[in-house]
This record gives sequence, structure tokens and C-alpha cells, in this order.
Amino acid sequence: MRRRAGWIAAALLAAACSSQTPVRRPRVTPAAPTAVGPYCQAIEGAGLLFVSGQIGIDPATGELSSPETRGQVEQALKNVTIILEAAGLTCDDVVKTTVFLVDLEDYAGMNEVYARSFKNAPPARSTVQVAKLPKGARVEIEAIAMMRG
Amino acid sequence: MTRYVVATDRAPRAIGPYSQAILLEGWVFCSGQIALVPETGELVAGDVRAQTERALENLAGVLGAAGCGLRDVVRTTVYLADMADFTAMNEIYARYFPERPPARSTIQAAALPRGGRVEIDAIAKVPQ
Repeated sequence: MRRRAGWIAAALLAAACSSQTPVRRPRVTPAAPTAVGPYCQAIEGAGLLFVSGQIGIDPATGELSSPETRGQVEQALKNVTIILEAAGLTCDDVVKTTVFLVDLEDYAGMNEVYARSFKNAPPARSTVQVAKLPKGARVEIEAIAMMRG
Repeated sequence: MTRYVVATDRAPRAIGPYSQAILLEGWVFCSGQIALVPETGELVAGDVRAQTERALENLAGVLGAAGCGLRDVVRTTVYLADMADFTAMNEIYARYFPERPPARSTIQAAALPRGGRVEIDAIAKVPQ
């Protein structure tokens, strides 16, 4: 019964995420971690793509790719990139990110890995330390990108 | 579609791999501003009021360089190091957004870069 309710909830969520309207279009890819709650990986609207916060989950295993911040930054950005690519975009199309760290001591290490993905004209960014992140992650990164054309 | 990196000395230089703002298709996406003094790169002396003022002056500087101003902001996020500063922050914040203030979310962060008490980011739309 409980399992069935779960399936129904999942089906409803899938329906909610796949209903397409001209103003608001979900962008979902199986190549990035599936949403761990009632949200879509990304939503396109008004020429912008809003990418949900990504933590360093390896889509292949469903687990954090590394216990360390650098490894998690790399994986989180990989996930962001996969979601961008599913919408025909790359990191060059990102205009704003927010980086949530559980420890600002990781700021320099995060920057080092982060800079590899955003080389030229890097997006605007806000960085804050938070009390906790889902799944015990050390970093979460969300992004806004501009659609092409 | 040209992507412009907004860079001005009216706001502190970026302290990491990010731009002060990106201007694209009339949208201005501003990085979170803490109360760094543009000339020195140091945190402004004073309480959360002084820091809110400086952070918003920095944002105004960035927006000005993008061809708009605080009146064109549609959304902000305010990160406070301590929610006890909410009222004091609002007092200053309200002066900068006297009419039709933008949508806003306010949260208490565990800590902010450079030990700042407030960080504010913004999205604005340049008037046609």
C-alpha cells in the first residue's frame, strides 16, 4: 500500500514535471541525479533556464562521489553541466550561480575546481556557508542560464 | 545575444572566479555583495546597518555600470549572519528601495565570506 502510494506520488510528480506550457518548460535528463524531492532538475521559462541546486551525487551510484569538498564540487558541476547540455547549453551560458558550502574554509579549494568550469567571463555568484545540506553534502551549486536563440 | 561582463570600480573587485555581474538580454545578474569597501577591499567598519548600506551601495555601483539602478531590481536574496539583525537590516534596506520594493528572500546563513554580517545579491531588468 505504502509502495503503491509512492508510485502514485512519483507518477503525479512526473506528470507535473512533464506538463508543457509555452511559458514554463521542465528540462529533465536521466543522465543527472534524479530530483530527491518535489522539484524538477531544471525549468525553462522567459528565455532563462533555472537549474536546481546540485550536490555531488554520482548519477551512476546515487551516492556522493567523494567525501571531500573538491570532489563534490567537481561532481556537482558535472551534474549542472549534464542538465545544461540536456537543454542545449554549456557552462558558458550560465549567468548566475549560488554556492552553498557547509564550511567556508573550503572556499579556496572550491574556487580552484569551480574555475575550471567557468574560465572566461565567469557568471555572477553568491557564496554562503549553510548549516546543513541534503545527504550530508559539503557543497550545493544552483545556476541560472540564458537560453540560446 | 551578447554577454557582457559588468566590471566597475564602484564596487569591490571579485574575490574569486566570478564576475560582479553579467548583463545579457536586458537582464542583470549581480553577484552577492558583502560590505567590502571598493577602494580598500576591506570590510567596512561598523554594525549590520553600516554593512547593509555598503553592500547596497556596491550593488548600486554594479547596476549603474550595467545601465540601470536599484529601482530596476526585481528580486534580491539577503543572507544574514544573524537573524537578530533582521530589523536593523530592513531599516537601511527600506531606504534604498523606497517604492515598489523587489521580491526578496531572507535567510540566516551559518557564515558569510570575510566574516561579513550581510550579503545581498540581486537580479534586475534594464528598462527598455
